[in-house]
Amino acid sequence: MSQSSESSASMENLSALVDGELESEAGARACGQWRDDAQARATWHAYALIGDVLRSGDLASTAERDCSFLLRLREQLAQEPVVLAPAELAAPLLAPLPAVAAAGGSRRAWRTPVAVAAGFMVVAGALVVTSVPGSLPFGSTPTVAQAGPAPVVAAAPGLQAVSTTQAETAPVRLNGQLIRDARLDEYLSVHKKFGGSSAPGVPSGFLRNAAAEAPAR
Amino acid sequence: MLLRLSALMVSCAFVAFAPASRAQGAGGSGDPLVEARETNTWLTRINEAANKRNFQGTVVVSAGGTVASSRIAHFCEGRNQYERIDSLEGQMRNVLRQNDLVHTVWPQSRVAMVEQRDGMSSFPGLLQAGAQHVAEFYELKPMGVERVAGHEANVLQLRAKDAHRFGYRLWAEKTTGLLLRTEVLGEHAEVLESSAFSDVSINVKPQVELVTQPLRKLDGYRIVRPPVTATQLEAEGWTLKHDIPGFTMVSCVKRPFDGALRVRGAADPVLQAVYSDGLTFVSIFIEPFNAERHQRAMSTVIGATQTMMRRQGDFWVTVMGDVPTATLRAFAAGLERRK
Repeated sequence: MSQSSESSASMENLSALVDGELESEAGARACGQWRDDAQARATWHAYALIGDVLRSGDLASTAERDCSFLLRLREQLAQEPVVLAPAELAAPLLAPLPAVAAAGGSRRAWRTPVAVAAGFMVVAGALVVTSVPGSLPFGSTPTVAQAGPAPVVAAAPGLQAVSTTQAETAPVRLNGQLIRDARLDEYLSVHKKFGGSSAPGVPSGFLRNAAAEAPAR
Repeated sequence: MLLRLSALMVSCAFVAFAPASRAQGAGGSGDPLVEARETNTWLTRINEAANKRNFQGTVVVSAGGTVASSRIAHFCEGRNQYERIDSLEGQMRNVLRQNDLVHTVWPQSRVAMVEQRDGMSSFPGLLQAGAQHVAEFYELKPMGVERVAGHEANVLQLRAKDAHRFGYRLWAEKTTGLLLRTEVLGEHAEVLESSAFSDVSINVKPQVELVTQPLRKLDGYRIVRPPVTATQLEAEGWTLKHDIPGFTMVSCVKRPFDGALRVRGAADPVLQAVYSDGLTFVSIFIEPFNAERHQRAMSTVIGATQTMMRRQGDFWVTVMGDVPTATLRAFAAGLERRK
């Protein structure tokens, strides 16, 4: 059926979105689909979970665990005294406390998707940043635009500046950009380990490269 | 923490300089020979303290807007040295060193990497480049006594005499000479990078089992041993046309990159030549050009560490070090293929 082939193609799009491989337009389409299609949201969650588990086994959990955590949190919150309530309202507020919890319950229906949507947007935001060096970002950030020729190979965490040497300009500061280049990390770790660093006390450069990753098994 | 530390530094700056043991600097005695000897005495003392003292503490490194901290233990028993460094951020990782044998252990992914340390990863890199030359390129000036991580420390200013290197400010513990804090200074004396003990106990009782015990528990770990072979730049068909003032080659090896740290299929080993001026190091990495991996020439800055990457003929050259970009450019420009 065309319906199923269409949906499998769009699932592939979601997968590509997770991997940050989607072009701007296709990315926008996938986001729209995520908004409209409950199945797509479930798939997105599954993909995100796969990614989490690949990063660390500790992140593996069922959706129920998050849900029950949220429920417990709401119950606790409902029982917290309302500290900032004006004095004259204190009396009426005492009685409806259970009602607050109930209201929380009824609002659960829309709260959860909003929370998920927020999480989704964070991912989409990160996608914008990391895809800037490529050809077609969703949008452009002025900081990066200054760099002139966009650097294709990007950076380690904490990397401050990226510029192309052809331009031979002063390095452009891109503070706090979390773009990773495993290759640069590798040079760094080798240089620091065997070429030294200027950290005190310890005769080794193992310190700064806290982000050095474990070799694949 | 560091901010607070530096506030503290300012408040107790200009405390009268009290001479510590024989390693005292008159600063500006005018006699270059005397000055050179004093510089050497200070730096040798710092070097020895890092190797021979027993200490345990936490080091915080702040570079380029990021902060990383590590827990460090260093013990010396007889002629044997033991060291353990646990990274406190990101993925769990322990470095365990017994003399020249270094194990890097990732407990979560159960991988251990075994490497031979070629004795050159110390700061300052005196043993490799020769302490006697440091005074030719740096001017050392004792700046007084300040308190760092609860210890009194001599403050030493190392000003670069030319534009090929950065300056430093060092805080060496008064009685032992152990480096408690360092700052790398840019050409306008701005702090590019700073690392310091936030707390440290010096002359602790050696607890060698902190290092030896984890090494006995590596059953079931995947052990990686990246093969490193010594070579010469000339033997690999390269030469550095002109000297960069103060820098001498201290090591030249071929090491695999992919495969050693990550499994990404067999790749050509990378040639690494290391140059030192007695304090800092510059690495030149040379590997065959690969259009997929090496997409664009670039230069980056992380704290004080500058990197320059570019294509040279059929090769990809990466020059990296805690030196100004111009120095890296001089290295890259001097590199010539002879085959």
